[in-house]
Amino acid sequence: MVYTHKHPALLIMGVIFLIIGATAQFGLQEGLIGYLKNAKYLGEMTGLAYTAGVIAVVVGLWHYFGTHEEGNLDYYLSTVAGVIFILLVAMFVRWYLAPFVAVLSKGLGPVMGAKYLHQVLGLNYVVLGILAGILIVNVFKIPDWAENGIRMSRLGLKTGVILLGTLYSLAELAHLGRLSVVLIGFFVLGSVGLVLWFARRRNIPNSMGGVLSAGMGVCGVSATVAAAPVVQAKSVEIAYTIGTILLWGVGCMFLFPVIGQLLSLGHIQFGAWAGTGILNSAQVAGAALAYQPDGIETLKVAEIFNITRVLFLPIIVLWLALWYVRREEGAEAVNTGRVIFEKFPVFVIGFILMFALSSTGIFAPANHYKGKYFDNDIADEKLLKPEQVASLQQALPMVQRLDRQAALTRLIENRKVMSIDDDATLRGLVNAKILSKDANKILKGAHKAVRHTAKKIKKFRQWITLLFAFGLTGLGMQITVASIKQAGGQPLVIGGVVGTAKALLSLLVIMLFVQETI
Amino acid sequence: MNPKRILCASHGTDGARAAEAQALRFCHSEVALHHLIVVPEFWQGMMGDDWLNNAVTRDRFGSYLEGQLDGEVAEVVERLGRATRETGADFSYESRFGKPADCLVDASRGMAFDLVVIGSPRPKGVDGLRSRMDLGKLTQALQVPLLVVPHPGS
Repeated sequence: MVYTHKHPALLIMGVIFLIIGATAQFGLQEGLIGYLKNAKYLGEMTGLAYTAGVIAVVVGLWHYFGTHEEGNLDYYLSTVAGVIFILLVAMFVRWYLAPFVAVLSKGLGPVMGAKYLHQVLGLNYVVLGILAGILIVNVFKIPDWAENGIRMSRLGLKTGVILLGTLYSLAELAHLGRLSVVLIGFFVLGSVGLVLWFARRRNIPNSMGGVLSAGMGVCGVSATVAAAPVVQAKSVEIAYTIGTILLWGVGCMFLFPVIGQLLSLGHIQFGAWAGTGILNSAQVAGAALAYQPDGIETLKVAEIFNITRVLFLPIIVLWLALWYVRREEGAEAVNTGRVIFEKFPVFVIGFILMFALSSTGIFAPANHYKGKYFDNDIADEKLLKPEQVASLQQALPMVQRLDRQAALTRLIENRKVMSIDDDATLRGLVNAKILSKDANKILKGAHKAVRHTAKKIKKFRQWITLLFAFGLTGLGMQITVASIKQAGGQPLVIGGVVGTAKALLSLLVIMLFVQETI
Repeated sequence: MNPKRILCASHGTDGARAAEAQALRFCHSEVALHHLIVVPEFWQGMMGDDWLNNAVTRDRFGSYLEGQLDGEVAEVVERLGRATRETGADFSYESRFGKPADCLVDASRGMAFDLVVIGSPRPKGVDGLRSRMDLGKLTQALQVPLLVVPHPGS
């Protein structure tokens, strides 16, 4: 079979990217950039647009004018059209649509405290990218020439997770790992058990109970896909389960950030909650980036929870397989080794390898803390201004904890953060959201002045953000309303009860026991 | 009504079985019944936004689901075929993948049918997959008389 379509689309998309790059480089977009306030993307608008444009034009010429024969070259190069299609949509959303929505939202004025509507609803480039993907697949359909490349979005997300390995310290990973194992262990096993109990009470078939428990307990559609053949689920049971999970997942992606904002959850609390309470792993990443679009602290926490969930997957599938064999006559015997081997997520090894490589100091000097280092030997213009000092003095009585009071006092006296410990303490104070927005802004500025990021690590952060934007937009293109509409039957009832219980209970546990800092 | 070539669309649900029963009432030795079974296109999106599984797991799921759907199609075809042959009528069948109304219109153009028989939409509150026949599209595009048999639960 020949996969490449003789179509000019890739060539046209390449030209569009080149036009974006050239107009951004030569200042022709200045007016637009001024209106949208998106100058921070100017580097991407030239560098990324030129790179994507050149690749798309070269491969596009080959697609349109070349002769194609069956083989690996044809297969792999045919994916470029879909990849560039996702990239074009994702970058259009990131560079233009999301800033435009922010401008409109700011025009309406603050709606919740000092927050604007788009901030409360989490309408940033990630969520809008997913929505754009959903809109394209359901209204316009994915063009034939792009279909083979759309699946590359999964590769983008997995690569993003692997690169994320460069951003953790051993202490962070150990702490988050422990926290996620405890929370995920409790809530995964709890919800799997609860679904199986419900299924028995309501006399639904073992196959339906099995596939639903995997989906509700572990990682949504991915777990359903892994478990369905093992518990011999019927087609209608699969459709009900996947429809229910997609409906729940898309709903949670919008609802969780709003609730998080209402409850003023810290980044770690929100990441932990999304990682535990949202069923579908793609929407966990989406909600985390929706909650904190301009940083990846929430994503870092949420992805550790995602990785823990996916590590639980082979265990749960094995458990369900053994459970099913015991209950059903004629069920296939379980090959334990094969289940573990096949379901093991290989990309997690990549994540661990990147973490190990990063720990050797290959990407940043070894004495740096994951590429970030403390240096308060700063220029005079970076010291706090007198009016900023006055604002912090006014805010000081609001701080109750003695260590925070001391750190803030030293900052006020010296007009800069005096030690790495003070910096961590003041970060905790910002995350706790005790002070006013202005005071927090001053503290963030003081932090930025003394914390520097190694160039390579900075690049990794940018790549991670881009890969997640790309991957999630592409995944949006695989969510069909027709499959969501299949939500129904007993899975909708049981899924609704268990999903709500899991989200509420995990929120309660996290608010009570998870601190804002690590 | 004495149709000689009947096209019956059925995928084995209660409503479709009512359509089968009605079509069988027209059957005798001079009649040919053609059975159309549609696998709705929503199955294509059933892996949703899965990204954690590897290719082996996804392929295994795809093959498993395909096997399930094939088995269900074979079961319905076998049952209706047996019932049709018992009346002395000729039986043939085809399965198509896509939107039910589009598939039915296409299939109706394949042979010179006298009558198309389908079940009516499932009444509200009755469980089942959501893949309804678009009756508006069907009545506009179909060139053959259409018989819509009421759902037994309505």
